[in-house]
Amino acid sequence: MSVASKLLPVGFYTLAKREILRYVRRPKNTFVPPLITNVLYFSVFGVVLGTRVGEIAGVPYILFILPGLVVLGAISNAFENASFSIFHGRWNEYIHETLTSPLSYAQMVWAYVASSAIRGIAVGVLISVIGAIFTTVGVERPFYLVAFMLVITVLFAGLGVLGGLWAEDFDDLTMMNQFILRPLVFFGGVFYSLDDLNSELFYTVSLFNPMIYMVNGVRYGFIGTAEVDPNASLVVLTVLAAAVAALDVALFRRGYGLTE
Amino acid sequence: MTAALEIRDLRKRYADVQALDGVSLTVPEGSFFGLLGPNGAGKTTFINILVGLVRKSGGEARVFGYDVEDDYQEARDRIGLAPQEFNVDRFFPIKEVLEHKAGYHGIPADEARERADEVLKQVGIYDKRDTRFDWLSGGMKRRFMLARALITDPDLLILDEPTAGVDVQLRRDLWDLIIDLNEAGTTILLTTHYIEEAERLCDEVAILDSGNVVTVASPEELIDRGADRIVVQLQDAPAGTPDLPFEDDRVDAVELDGNRLVVTARRGGLVAPDLVRALDRAGHGIVDLEISRTSLEEVFVELTRTEDGAAVDEPAPALAANGEGGRR
Repeated sequence: MSVASKLLPVGFYTLAKREILRYVRRPKNTFVPPLITNVLYFSVFGVVLGTRVGEIAGVPYILFILPGLVVLGAISNAFENASFSIFHGRWNEYIHETLTSPLSYAQMVWAYVASSAIRGIAVGVLISVIGAIFTTVGVERPFYLVAFMLVITVLFAGLGVLGGLWAEDFDDLTMMNQFILRPLVFFGGVFYSLDDLNSELFYTVSLFNPMIYMVNGVRYGFIGTAEVDPNASLVVLTVLAAAVAALDVALFRRGYGLTE
Repeated sequence: MTAALEIRDLRKRYADVQALDGVSLTVPEGSFFGLLGPNGAGKTTFINILVGLVRKSGGEARVFGYDVEDDYQEARDRIGLAPQEFNVDRFFPIKEVLEHKAGYHGIPADEARERADEVLKQVGIYDKRDTRFDWLSGGMKRRFMLARALITDPDLLILDEPTAGVDVQLRRDLWDLIIDLNEAGTTILLTTHYIEEAERLCDEVAILDSGNVVTVASPEELIDRGADRIVVQLQDAPAGTPDLPFEDDRVDAVELDGNRLVVTARRGGLVAPDLVRALDRAGHGIVDLEISRTSLEEVFVELTRTEDGAAVDEPAPALAANGEGGRR
């Protein structure tokens, strides 16, 4: 029996374990795609183009993009996992097994969020390991790296729960990921520095993109430099993650997307 | 003793449809309670409110004294539900699905594994424990639904059309199983389209129609409320309808067709001897007498008849598994 199973409430532990087993047993659908995608990213953007770009923020381009790719993989997977699991359960109605159980609404939400965040972190670690094959990766600020990874994966798992409750069709899930999440990440300073933006307008607009703060926070953890104050970012993102989780619990309690 | 279910003025409205319109009923602990009604009567809405899949619009619903919304964890912990629809987790083999369900109810993993084995054996699909739900046959799926409801050892077992679409043998097996459970103390709430199933199994039935409880009574009481037909074949055709001196209101109608006298009466079995005596005294020779008792199905159709005279929805025909004695 694991330590977690002894420390956590049985119901919560069971649901979280069920969610984790679901993706661990299907690596072809969950871990292999980001592995291949990131090998391609590092090869093309890091090695082929990176040698031409040179250095950004005082580090080689391949190292500069690594934190952004970690964030991209981590939040995409945290979001996708929660949204897919909730929506698929609604679609096939097996989420009723959970809803008709004596788990509290908070336990249900946190089990989905925690398992999805763990998947996001696992993918983040996987991308870091792939990056380490291509370049030398250090962790300058381990506390910030861990804290930012925890907060952003929890935040996006929480948003994934919202997406899973809101979606009416599988197309809605695809739309959220492709048309909202991905553009925000790509314009969130993954592949470029804010200082490289020539326009004051673009710079100001970028500051409204929450991804900027996530990417910068994780970058601060890896390479020790940031374009935005990491402490302020961490506080804002933590508050945001808590607010989204609270909203998830409220929606579960109300039965939004789940009942009737 | 706390009632298994205490329902007061329960209401549910979906947009412009009043699914439940002030349902009140009490299900005693340990009873076998049937919920009958045509399609759209509100049976599934009623059940879904109890288990948290539908939010009530008004009224009160308590499971063993626990409010289904304020004390939802306690209420749900006491319920095992076998819904009509197959809403099963397709990602895992069925034994693991059972273990998960047990875990959600706070049953530790070791015990959950033992219980999963036990209930799979109980419903007769233990050999299929490592199979996913989609690969089970229709009958096995129905058995599994019952196993999932039983894995948490519920105090209240809710069975929504548990024998819908299953063959005669399986239906008998499932009946035997749920009878045993009820005799061991589990309260059963059964919804069914098979009137005979309710007649055979239930202590008490509520007939639900258009979101209202039309009546709550034992199957025997309901049958007694219906009119029986006594058909008397007389030796000679009388000149007119014989004057039968019944002073109570048991006899609803007397019709004469040649030498065939048809008496419609409640509790026909009690009326028949008086009828024979009266005909004998009046000098009518009797060749044959036949009493046809009303069936629960006829009572059901009568109670759920709409104002224009048509029954809302016909119940399923009597089961093929006839020929066995009643349950009690």
